[in-house]
Amino acid sequence: MVKSRIGALFFLFFSLFYFYKSFDIHLLKGAYYETMTAQTFPYYLGILGIVVSLLLLLFSFIKIDKDDLFDMEKLRTYDFKKAFYLILSMIFYGYTIRSLGFVISTILFLILGFKILGEKSWKIILLTSFGISIAFWLLLTQLLGIYVENGLIFEYFLGAQS
Amino acid sequence: MMDGIWLGITTALSGYNIFMVAIGAFAGTFIGMLPGLGPISAIALMIPVTYGMDPSSALILIAGVYYGAIFGGSTSSILINAPGVAGTVATAFDGYPMARQGHAGKALAIAAYASFSGGTIAAIFLLVAAPALAKVSLSFQSSDYFALMVLGLTAVAAFAGKGKFLKAAIMTIFGLMLATVGTDADSGVSRYTFGNMNLIDGISFLLLAMASFALSEALMNIIENQKMTKEEKEALKKEIGSLKVTKKEIKEIAPVIGRSSVLGFFVGVLPGAGATIASFLAYGMERSIANVKEKLKFGKGSLRGLAAPESANNAACSGSFVPLLTLGIPGSGTTAVILGALISYGIQPGPTLYTEQPALFWSVIISMYIGNLILLILNLPLIPYIAKLLATPKQILLPLVMFFSLIGVYLVTFNTFDIYMMVFFSIVAVFLRLVDYPMAPMILGFILGGMMENNLRRALTISDGSLSFLWERPITASILVITIIMLLWPLITQLFLGKMGTSEDK
Repeated sequence: MVKSRIGALFFLFFSLFYFYKSFDIHLLKGAYYETMTAQTFPYYLGILGIVVSLLLLLFSFIKIDKDDLFDMEKLRTYDFKKAFYLILSMIFYGYTIRSLGFVISTILFLILGFKILGEKSWKIILLTSFGISIAFWLLLTQLLGIYVENGLIFEYFLGAQS
Repeated sequence: MMDGIWLGITTALSGYNIFMVAIGAFAGTFIGMLPGLGPISAIALMIPVTYGMDPSSALILIAGVYYGAIFGGSTSSILINAPGVAGTVATAFDGYPMARQGHAGKALAIAAYASFSGGTIAAIFLLVAAPALAKVSLSFQSSDYFALMVLGLTAVAAFAGKGKFLKAAIMTIFGLMLATVGTDADSGVSRYTFGNMNLIDGISFLLLAMASFALSEALMNIIENQKMTKEEKEALKKEIGSLKVTKKEIKEIAPVIGRSSVLGFFVGVLPGAGATIASFLAYGMERSIANVKEKLKFGKGSLRGLAAPESANNAACSGSFVPLLTLGIPGSGTTAVILGALISYGIQPGPTLYTEQPALFWSVIISMYIGNLILLILNLPLIPYIAKLLATPKQILLPLVMFFSLIGVYLVTFNTFDIYMMVFFSIVAVFLRLVDYPMAPMILGFILGGMMENNLRRALTISDGSLSFLWERPITASILVITIIMLLWPLITQLFLGKMGTSEDK
């Protein structure tokens, strides 16, 4: 499959969607008399996007560069699984940062990250994750004076004032 | 002007600011050294640290990070032939062969001297060029600014490399499109928010920069799964050899550094060019003017081949500050991120910056000298240890990079939606990286989007809705003519070179 063609299709659909949605932009009364409304720029951007992605698509059929083809052998060595797990752990981090609080969720995220990428030594994993999150928390709250929420779990056990 | 320079010197030389340059240079060196992580990631990662600082100190720190990242890239280029930054790819051509011959220490030292000289020479140029251009640009109107931004965005696409013009163009448009998300600054109408309250303020530039650079570069690093080869590991364990450079060698590279720095500076000033193109051009220039005997050495450990790209890329970094500080228009992805940071400190760079915030304007320029000096002092003695840092295992570093990028954005808004949005954009960025679409034009388009729309609106209102402003003002018209030439340039060169090729064949 040609790389630039995949990208061109992605941008073609995106531009079509963007152009279509530009008509949904709500205009204020009297905007009719204005030279440039909130819709003008997106409208022309959408057209430009469609034109350029169509050109890209066209060129991907006319001339195919060797570099533009996926190197299947290289692709097979790619590790999508680890990246996928890391993406999941980032979502998990976003999901827990408010409920478990900064320190605990950061420790968990880092442990997950180190483990997914194959760090074996638990000593290094625990030292780094605990060290970094506690040090960072101290830096934020004590040195820089940034307010960091305690996390709902602390409020549940220790009361809202903790 | 002397008052301004003096004010800049006193601001930049305060203990706190020197400390900031040092921190920036060190952090930049470290991040830039990691293969795959470039100056944009390094700067984006440091921006949250600068919130709450005085804008001058913040910008000084960021300039330090920029220099550091380029220097750090050279270190990994020379030692393991894995450039951390595109701007130091040319450094590896001769730096790595030198390291393999057992002169790693000498190569690193020459890189440090060349970077220092390149940065310093360019900073002197900047000192002269920036105020001059600022004065000229005071007469610029909205239509000129609009034309300049069109030129800048076109230039980024035009310089993107062979066969990449359309790809870079669509990425720029993509960035412009993303910039329209949120509340329209003029009418207050919300656009592309899909009824989601979290999108009312638009997408934050830091979020986009972190997701499309730091996060996606880390993810790509994992996907590509490049393990260090045995050879590379051994290269890191090896002693790097003496750092000494003889007088004869200095004599040999001094003129090279001078030439390359001047070239690098001017390439850096151009919109769309920057460190990468500057380093390749300087390398190419040195090779073509060298005599036959010297030419053979290129690619096999030539001192000239190492000094040229190293001084040019640092000079280009300084040069790229000229359009940023005087016009408020960034010419590259990196300066676009710096502009984004400046705007978030409440500073709008442009011709008035020079008169309204002289302390900031001059202290940044002065701190570039200091930054270069500190890089030299900091890095020369630390080179052996810096080399060891490269051996830090990836499985520890990458989760940390991810943590810093996520938390850097989260701590600004305390909104978990931002974390999900970052994950989403990093997935899109990884996909686009896999199909070889460049990211830097997108971030440039994104930063310029709002300004471009405003200036277009103003120009249209002034000319009463007619497009005549495009050709009625000489400045606007000439900028647009340059843009059109640049657009047609690939076509012209192809026609021209095609003809030359056939005549040579005959």
